[in-house]
Amino acid sequence: MISQKHLELVRMGLRSLVGYPMRTVLTMLGVVFGVGSVIAMLALGAGAERELLKEIGRLGIQNIIINSIKPEVQDTSNQRSNWISSYGITFKDHRQIVDTIPGIEKALPVHVSKKTVWQGSKRVEGTLYAVTPEHLDMFQLNTSVGRNLTHLDDEKLSRVCVVRSGMLKELGIYQDPIGFGLNIDKETFYIVGVLKDDSFLGYARKALSVDAKSSEIYVPYSSALRRHGTRSITRRSGSSEATDVELNQVVISVTDLDQVLVTARMLGSLLERNHPEKDYELVVPLEVLSQRQKTQQVFNIALVAIASISLLVGGIGIANIMLATVTERTKEIGVRRALGARRRHIIAQFLTETTTISTIGGGVGVLVGIGLVQVLTFFTGWSAAITLSSVALSLSISMAVGIVSGIYPARRAAGLDPISALRHE
Amino acid sequence: MKAPIISLQGVHKYYGDCEPRLHVLKGIDLDVAEGEYVSITGTSGSGKSTLLNLLGCLDNTSNGAYLLNGRDVSLYSDDELSKIRNEDIGFIFQSFNLIPQLTVFENVQVPLLYGARSIAATTDLCHEVIDSVGLSDRSEHRPTQLSGGECQRVAIARALINDPVLLLADEPTGNLDSTTGEEVLALIDDLHQQGRSVVMITHDPEVANRSQRRVDLRDGIIVEEGAA
Ligand SMILES: Nc1ncnc2c1ncn2[C@@H]1O[C@H](COP(=O)(O)OP(=O)(O)O)[C@@H](O)[C@H]1O
Ligand SMILES: [Mg+2]
Repeated sequence: MISQKHLELVRMGLRSLVGYPMRTVLTMLGVVFGVGSVIAMLALGAGAERELLKEIGRLGIQNIIINSIKPEVQDTSNQRSNWISSYGITFKDHRQIVDTIPGIEKALPVHVSKKTVWQGSKRVEGTLYAVTPEHLDMFQLNTSVGRNLTHLDDEKLSRVCVVRSGMLKELGIYQDPIGFGLNIDKETFYIVGVLKDDSFLGYARKALSVDAKSSEIYVPYSSALRRHGTRSITRRSGSSEATDVELNQVVISVTDLDQVLVTARMLGSLLERNHPEKDYELVVPLEVLSQRQKTQQVFNIALVAIASISLLVGGIGIANIMLATVTERTKEIGVRRALGARRRHIIAQFLTETTTISTIGGGVGVLVGIGLVQVLTFFTGWSAAITLSSVALSLSISMAVGIVSGIYPARRAAGLDPISALRHE
Repeated sequence: MKAPIISLQGVHKYYGDCEPRLHVLKGIDLDVAEGEYVSITGTSGSGKSTLLNLLGCLDNTSNGAYLLNGRDVSLYSDDELSKIRNEDIGFIFQSFNLIPQLTVFENVQVPLLYGARSIAATTDLCHEVIDSVGLSDRSEHRPTQLSGGECQRVAIARALINDPVLLLADEPTGNLDSTTGEEVLALIDDLHQQGRSVVMITHDPEVANRSQRRVDLRDGIIVEEGAA
């Protein structure tokens, strides 16, 4: 019974809104744009967060990656006496890690070297990744053509490789690439598979030291090591530079997700002991993710706070128009009071009107926000995700804006003396 | 004579908070019996509307007692007075006072919004009452689409929707020409015939003659009272 009366009140409230369509639309605009921008901001925030997960999640939040890095300051005396610069993670480090640190499921060795790759008379500057077969699984490097590297390849020291499709054209391979031989340092590696073209993004690329050119060539770890060793020589305008890095990268997978940070700390202290010159870096995707998520959240809050200002302005707009409406409808209020309306009925009437305005404005605002997001993502390529919770949040906020902005005008209306209101012209 | 539905005893009304306050009603004693038809006449500014507003529980007396159906309403709260206005009193105004954005049907419905009965259960009643003032074919129209006489009939229908015992009319024909005014007065006569008490303000002696009793107000005092 109460609810039905309330529906009637809403219906009659709508009637007075429909009676002045232009004014109603103008009153709504503030909330429309406020909610629209809140929706857009939340969508962009959620999109950025999703992107972040995709980017860093690809590294595996259970993994820890150790990269060898060339120390900033080279000991000059050392360089003169020994023309090979040698740094980074060693086989001994790898053995120690596997033997002494508990809770490690895998510790995959990776050797990376820049190589010139020939196919007939065509050549490409590529990056040779000597990896174990598990490495490809771990980072979801799946083939679209042919097969992946296997343990058998590794055991038999097979000269096979898996490549990115991007480099095939440059090498003049237009037909089925399987079986083509690539010449790398006087050795021939035969293509057995081509990777799907979903290369790593942003941070993940940096953490795995993969370059943007997508010219990675994955070969069995043992084959590469047996044939090329760990030394590599780079010729650069006359002078040549030789480096000897035993392991460019070790990818460690921790059995228990809860132990990732503890394990990372243990790895850190082990490496610190072995490498006082700091020629390595420890990448913990889990840590990076939570840091970046925190930053993103602060950013989201700031964005939404800015967007909320327009909602606030929208609310003030409603309150302002409603105050004018109360003056304009003083006579109506007097009539209603004469017909038996109590103060709370008048309050309910005006709150219903403001809430209806702001909720409809909120609904339109959601659509405007969705449109805005479409336009923004279309023109900028930003990632965005409109979540149900952001829609629910915006609608409840706009409803609340209606109630809050209606309170003062409604109380003013209800406080009018019935006789003065009736005498008002 | 039946028990009075209205009984004013030494009623004074002042307007304004600061001295000198405007002394509008200066000691009114008036009884209206149940089913009686009383007209109030007097010059402009003599306090007729003020008196009617008091009778209609739109305002409280400054001094003196007002017994409505034997209850002293001068002590009632705002909510209680609202309830009485809703259930026991029907108002008819000179300027109709319909709500412009609502249809005829919705205008008649308004008092039901503030009462205890459900809206759905009273749909038929609304149609009946609109029918009884002869406007059943206009129920979806807006006040602006109606003539003055039709508007006043809508207002009467609205006043009747809660079947009040007392009808209060403040110059109901003041804005109407004589023909439509006559129709409205005939309607009020009918309502009196059905047993309702009516108090009507008018400045037209001919209109006052239709009532059973005339009360003449001058400068806040009843100067003449007698059968019309
Ligand atoms: N709400 C009010 N506030 C102040 N003065 C009022 C109010 N209502 C009426 N008055 C004054 O009281 C006097 C009587 O008014 P009213 O009862 O409307 O007279 P009538 O209806 O007989 O013309 C007038 O002088 C009017 O200005
Ligand atoms: Mg008057």
